[in-house]
Amino acid sequence: MDFLYLLLQLISAILVAPLFDGISRKLRAKFQSRVGPSIFQTYRDLLKLLKRGRTKSHSTSYIYQIAPYVLFVSAAAMFCALPIAYDTHSGAISQFSDIFVLLYLGALFRFMFIVAGIDTANPFAGVSASREGTLGFYTEEIAVICLVVVMMGTGSTNLAYITTLVQEGNYGYAFPSFSIAATAFLWVMYVETGRKPYDLAEAEQELQEGVLGEYCGKDLAIIDVAILLKQFTMLGFFLVIFIPWSFENPILSLIAFLAEVGFLYVMGVFIDNFGPRFTVNNGIKRTMLFALSISCASLVLYIMGI
Amino acid sequence: MQTIYTLFLLTSLLSLLLYKKPLLAQKLGFGFACVISLYATIFFFSHLGETMIWKLPGNFISSPLFRLDSIGMFFSFLVSLIAFAVSLFSFDYAKFYEKRANLAVFASLFNAFILSMLLVIASDNVFSFMLLWEMMTLISALLILINDGEGAGKKVMIYLGIAQIGAFSLMVALLIMASFAGSFEFSKFADLNIGFGMSMTLFVLLLVGLGSKAGMFPFHVWLPIAYCQSPSNASALMSGVMIKVALFAFIKFSLLLPQFAQFGYILLLMGALSCIFGIIYALASNDYKASIAYSSCENVGIIFLGLGGAFYGLGIHSPIIALMGFIAAFFHILNHAVFKSLLFMLSGNIFTATKTRNMDALGGLHKKMPITSIIFFVAAISICALPPLNGFASEWVIYKTMVIGGIDEGVASRFFFTLAIIALSITGAMAIMAFSKMYGSVFLGIARNTQCVEEAKEVSFLRLLPLGLLASLCVGIGIFMSDVVGMLSKIVLTLIPQTSQSVFGLISMPIIIMIMLLCAILPFVFLYLLKANHKEVRVTEPWACGFLYNKNMQIGSNSFTGDIRKALSFIVRYEQEIKMDGYFSKAVYTQKVHDLFWDKLYAPVIHSVMVIAEKIGIFQNGRTNLYAGYILIYLCFVLIFGYYYL
Repeated sequence: MDFLYLLLQLISAILVAPLFDGISRKLRAKFQSRVGPSIFQTYRDLLKLLKRGRTKSHSTSYIYQIAPYVLFVSAAAMFCALPIAYDTHSGAISQFSDIFVLLYLGALFRFMFIVAGIDTANPFAGVSASREGTLGFYTEEIAVICLVVVMMGTGSTNLAYITTLVQEGNYGYAFPSFSIAATAFLWVMYVETGRKPYDLAEAEQELQEGVLGEYCGKDLAIIDVAILLKQFTMLGFFLVIFIPWSFENPILSLIAFLAEVGFLYVMGVFIDNFGPRFTVNNGIKRTMLFALSISCASLVLYIMGI
Repeated sequence: MQTIYTLFLLTSLLSLLLYKKPLLAQKLGFGFACVISLYATIFFFSHLGETMIWKLPGNFISSPLFRLDSIGMFFSFLVSLIAFAVSLFSFDYAKFYEKRANLAVFASLFNAFILSMLLVIASDNVFSFMLLWEMMTLISALLILINDGEGAGKKVMIYLGIAQIGAFSLMVALLIMASFAGSFEFSKFADLNIGFGMSMTLFVLLLVGLGSKAGMFPFHVWLPIAYCQSPSNASALMSGVMIKVALFAFIKFSLLLPQFAQFGYILLLMGALSCIFGIIYALASNDYKASIAYSSCENVGIIFLGLGGAFYGLGIHSPIIALMGFIAAFFHILNHAVFKSLLFMLSGNIFTATKTRNMDALGGLHKKMPITSIIFFVAAISICALPPLNGFASEWVIYKTMVIGGIDEGVASRFFFTLAIIALSITGAMAIMAFSKMYGSVFLGIARNTQCVEEAKEVSFLRLLPLGLLASLCVGIGIFMSDVVGMLSKIVLTLIPQTSQSVFGLISMPIIIMIMLLCAILPFVFLYLLKANHKEVRVTEPWACGFLYNKNMQIGSNSFTGDIRKALSFIVRYEQEIKMDGYFSKAVYTQKVHDLFWDKLYAPVIHSVMVIAEKIGIFQNGRTNLYAGYILIYLCFVLIFGYYYL
């Protein structure tokens, strides 16, 4: 039964994610005084990609072929690690919901992304693969600093267990270190979703999409879904630790969760649309240092025992 | 177990005697090594958890005792397991060195090296331990010299120099401990009555002595120098198991001291520094073998993190932290031995095929060597600690130890454990960059220097077989993680006094794999339901924004890490040189990464020693009458001294 809920959680996210992407695109267009695409445009894009033929560069190897599936698997497995439609009582599955499993599945995603980019021998893919790695280096360390506070505060690495603790009020905003960590963590998760000023998953050759420069047809469609899922997971990661809403009924909590994530995703446009663009080092110096210092402040508070 | 040692000794002597027929000696030497180590692997594995004692027969100066307890048994198993794979690999690989060295000597040294490592693990008194320890160092130095070439002598001297610093501190520590115990036998060292200050000093001496051999920061400078110079099978043995022997000795000796929580803090700090600096240089290096060598420093750091947790647990009498820490450390020792020796052997395959170690010259090697490439991919995933392979399994246990350790109320323990977790996560992120860069620029894309890659051929089946075995071991240990942890906990429990704790709350790797497989089915279901276009893929040139594509447009390994090196420029120093003659000729751009610690720590010391030696050299100028003068001055001095003070 729990397994079916897990499947339901995954499939519903895959089905709903493009809708929120469409909404955010529409909203962004409105900000820029354009009419913009319909909110169902992302579905249409994906369907169209599925019907198209494919080309590949002559340098590519097996990595190019397996990359879309590996990316999808790691993103989907990351999403499954979020305890939404299941909780600590779900036996074996709740063991899967572990913070380090989630983080290292994210690392697998990044590894594959970089390798696939280099495999195409495309100059833009290479540059953005390098960028992806560099950005990951910065975000991971801030995310882990925040998570250290939470993990040591609760004494567990199990996400389902942490969610239950925070929900029941045994651990949470009464601890200053926890609430400060929340701020920095949300910041980093926003960066991980790949938006401006850090990335723009649309149109920019040298940025995140650059890695996918050589991908087309169904491969690109699968990767697009994988990236959407990863963005959802990242926001969901914040939600399950810091704002866990859940109900007795798993389906109800799934709906609430998707609505929450969708809301955050669309709200991202407010930062995205007004954010400037930086080169990697410049952007990190200007913005990430601030997030780093917030997370360090929370860590210091934890070490002092506050 | 005597049989195994004797057989290795005989094989070593036999191949040395056949030095007139190097090819035969190579076949016999490596072939026997392979068979014996397979037997040894099975023998040690089936006797895990038992204790064996053996006395050297005959009339020697002393009659040293050899003893294998359950830890020693585990490490002997590890040595023979890796030795089996490496000797199977060398059977064919050694031919590459046919023109450079006598293969008979190579085979003989190889066997002697395995024997010396096994004996170091088994030896049970100070004298025989130090003797065998130095023999192990010397034999490995000779193995490095097999690949003789320009500057080889200097590189070996650096290796030996650092080994001597280590051996000196080790000797001092062991003698002090022996004087406290009143005996040279390790088995009588237990329950030494040593105060805090003295045991701290001893601990630091042991850490310097054995950490330098293990490649711990700041003694890591010999790693890239020695491993790049030596043949790949020798570096696989050195990195895969020799540094584990040093770790074994460290665990064995420091457990004899009275335990304090501060030991744990020191180890956590050194481990964190080792893994960060190791991986930074692995990332910056453009030589794939040097990069793998630096990553040894990183992995030793990770092992020290696990040990730090264990010693902290012993210090505060918390058996569960100690248990988890030891399991984590032993698990990572096992995994690192497997994937690091695998990576070094793979680098040997790449080098014999392309004759270059520069990543910027390679590329597109997958098309030439598909099986090597796929095995490399498995090894890279495993060393980057990505699920579901073995690297992830052991790093997860280490993370878990750190989290349990940091829950404590004390500020110091919280500080050191959070530091350790953060260091480990930074290392993880950089390892991904380092190994994706290495895999990408060697195997993927288009060949940058066509000359090197054109003639590359896949190596023979005999060389691929051990690699395949180790790669499947990487996968297997990952899948059967809980069984491996169960086995290790039985071994480790002997280290922790009075406890019968068991491990709980492990992640279950089969579930991770099952969920990943389930997720892997989904895209196919969607593609089927939505009737995707499954037509044949058209092959084109890579897209270059409308320009004519050129292979130099690919990202190079330098520019790949450009941004991160800019940010880390306070640690990673590099020289760049741009040569341009004339407007139309091609510019040559070279970049060389410097090890900051070599420049700031070792080079000044070596330089000052040279200067002092030169100054002292004035006294020795070859004139006999001056020497007579020295004697005269000395006699006068002795007379004056004797008259007034005696």
